[in-house]
Amino acid sequence: MKKIMLLTIPILFVYFYPAVVFAADDQCYTCHSALEDKESKLFKEDIHFKKGISCNGCHGGDKSSEDNDVAMSKEKGFIGVPKGDKITEVCAKCHASEKMMKSFGSKLPVNQYDNLINSVHGKSSTVSGSRIVNCTTCHTAHGIKSVNDPLSPVYATNIPMTCSKCHGDAAYMRTYNPGLAVDQYTKYLTSVHGTLNSKGDPKPAQCASCHGSHDIKPVKDIKSKVYPVNIPATCSKCHSDKEYMAQYKIPTDQFEKYARSVHGKALLEKNDPGAPACNSCHGNHGAAPPGVESISQVCGTCHALNADLFSQSPHKLAFEKKGYPECETCHGNHEIVTATNKMLGVDKDAVCSKCHQDQNSNGYKSAFMMRSLIDSLDNTKQSAMVLINEAEQKGMEVSDAKFKLRDINQVKLETRTQVHSFDAKKFKDIVDKGLVISADATADAKQAIHEYYFRRVGLGVSVFLISLLAFGLFLYLRKIEKK
Amino acid sequence: MKKYFTKAYEWLDERLDLTSLSHFIEKKYVPVHAHSIWYYFGGVSLFFFLIQVLTGILLLFYYKGSADLAFESIQFIMSKVEFGWLIRSIHAWAANLFILSVFIHMFSVFFEKSYRKPRELTWVTGVFLFFMTLAFGFSGYLLPWNKLAFFATKVGTDIAGNVPIVGQIMKGFLRGGDDVTGATLSRFFGFHVALFPGIFTILLVIHIVMVQRQGMSEPMELEGRPEETKKSMPFFPNFMLRDLLLWLLVLNVLAILAVFFPADLGEKADPFSSAPAGIKPEWYFLFMFQTLKYIPGKIFIMDGELLGIVLFGAAGLLWLLVPFWDTQSSKGLINKKINYLGLFAVGFIIVLTILGWVA
Repeated sequence: MKKIMLLTIPILFVYFYPAVVFAADDQCYTCHSALEDKESKLFKEDIHFKKGISCNGCHGGDKSSEDNDVAMSKEKGFIGVPKGDKITEVCAKCHASEKMMKSFGSKLPVNQYDNLINSVHGKSSTVSGSRIVNCTTCHTAHGIKSVNDPLSPVYATNIPMTCSKCHGDAAYMRTYNPGLAVDQYTKYLTSVHGTLNSKGDPKPAQCASCHGSHDIKPVKDIKSKVYPVNIPATCSKCHSDKEYMAQYKIPTDQFEKYARSVHGKALLEKNDPGAPACNSCHGNHGAAPPGVESISQVCGTCHALNADLFSQSPHKLAFEKKGYPECETCHGNHEIVTATNKMLGVDKDAVCSKCHQDQNSNGYKSAFMMRSLIDSLDNTKQSAMVLINEAEQKGMEVSDAKFKLRDINQVKLETRTQVHSFDAKKFKDIVDKGLVISADATADAKQAIHEYYFRRVGLGVSVFLISLLAFGLFLYLRKIEKK
Repeated sequence: MKKYFTKAYEWLDERLDLTSLSHFIEKKYVPVHAHSIWYYFGGVSLFFFLIQVLTGILLLFYYKGSADLAFESIQFIMSKVEFGWLIRSIHAWAANLFILSVFIHMFSVFFEKSYRKPRELTWVTGVFLFFMTLAFGFSGYLLPWNKLAFFATKVGTDIAGNVPIVGQIMKGFLRGGDDVTGATLSRFFGFHVALFPGIFTILLVIHIVMVQRQGMSEPMELEGRPEETKKSMPFFPNFMLRDLLLWLLVLNVLAILAVFFPADLGEKADPFSSAPAGIKPEWYFLFMFQTLKYIPGKIFIMDGELLGIVLFGAAGLLWLLVPFWDTQSSKGLINKKINYLGLFAVGFIIVLTILGWVA
């Protein structure tokens, strides 16, 4: 114990020494603490005070002078209470200077100022004309704590409340972005992230984890961390980190799976911002895994017809009874791949066969029939395509037939939707429509090929007749020129 | 039957003096010599023009000259109209062969120095007819309103915009606005089917009347020889029938080309799409296009493309006025410089066209 005491004393001394020394020479602090004003009380706990920075570090003036008029004179650089953008500029004097920050032994990045002025908060305020947010808006003044200090307003568990001071104030937010919701904090508290955060766990995502801190961009800005195409990467920063996620005991392969999915390919490879990202299914501020009952609602947001047909199908009740997650049972969750014919039917790869194994059951028969129908549509389309290509290679104009092929694709798309009714008759009606179009396109292609050969025969006859006429003319010319 | 024909002829003769015309034709002779073959290219060019008029009229029955309908109407002609594909393919092939035939005819006249006195004006009308065939080609190329034609017209009118002083006015007039749009198509259609055929027909009539009045030009080396040593053949029926024979052979070639290589339609023009890579004009403009590509962007203080256009303009003017500055040929003197100039022009056109083609 004695040894510990002996070690602790020098450590505490080293830590507080600058403050003690500075406080002794610091006439600003000496006077203001004597006055017992709020600022000096707060400043005592401020990280800057602990690092030996006095009031004049921000306010200017001469801290060594006991004379008020000298200490707070313009000649000594006194600027009074900085207002508006001046606040950020005062902070930036040190926080944007690598040299200055090193001199205080800080490893903080020095780009916060640049990030802030280029962020959405760096725009001009409609009320004051200065920036919407300055450093003190989030970090407060005089009582500034380290970001790792649980008392800091920007400590992980305090951030949601700090942000919601403005973002939860409808009247305030209306002056900047009337379209922006103000219930993020309320939603956040219902999310898995929010629940854990409010219990004091600093690891789950809070506002800054997804939106950034000094560099926050509007959601519509492609550089924003929450711009649709950037969302999977933002979420995966934590959710793909096995070590970080270990204590929560949830898988960490969601991003990998999502990237392979039809949604992931559309978003990450084709850069289609309309494709679903993590938040489309899980929500954003209220992020949570959708429950078994809500899956078809979540998927139905985009796949409305499919969800509608499913909810009227016999599967709805059957799945409910068995507790199967609706869409997910057949399509999976993060790794949803493009639906192919193989999913349908009674083959071992088909999803229907997982449940419908009794050959005499209606389900088995319907699955078998629907698979046969869709395969026959594909086959007829394929043979029409071969004929159309052949006609096109022969130089024939087959744009009409090609257009019909596109109609078959439309029919296929309809079958993909109709399959969710699991009604073989309705499914057949649509496939029949496609078979008619396919037969029509095939007839067009055959006609074009027939026309191709007809043209050649016609050419042969014409060339023969013209040549015959030319030869006759040649003979006549010879005759008259001999005379 | 013969009695009725004779009566009809006599009735017409009494009113139109056909006898003097038939005397004129009977007395008309065409010189026969080693270079007589070149005489036929004038007739072949005329044949192509007649085919263009005939197939053009047939296409007009179905073609619609607006940006919304032009491409679709050609698609309809190619797939639905009975023999529409044949008419369009013949029109497209005959257009190319027409220009080729006019090129050959013009250079044969140049090398034979047939432009010399008294045929200066025949040459001038001929050169104007040549320019008109190029104008026909340029205006007709846009009419299918496909991607390639759209961007080629854009490039072509951009080049026209660089002509000194009048360039921008000319570009605006050709495009019917700042850019190639439906308005450009409408006016190109108007030029192609009304304005140009009208001007071309007038020039053609003048050109043919002058050829008939002055007769076929003889090579310079035959001039001055005694008439009895010169060979000739009657224009009617011998030369006309030979012409007809060649026309039949040309018709065969056209039919084969139209069936084996029908005219392509490509993709519909989309003003918002990017220009296809390596876009080129039709082969008959390729030598000029390629030359402009080789000229550096800046030559001293002058813009390279502008210099190229000025040089081509000057060359065209010199070409038009050959009979007036080649005074030696008109005096019956051999002017070898003209031959060298002609060879250079032919070589230049062929080499630059090949370079443009393979580029």
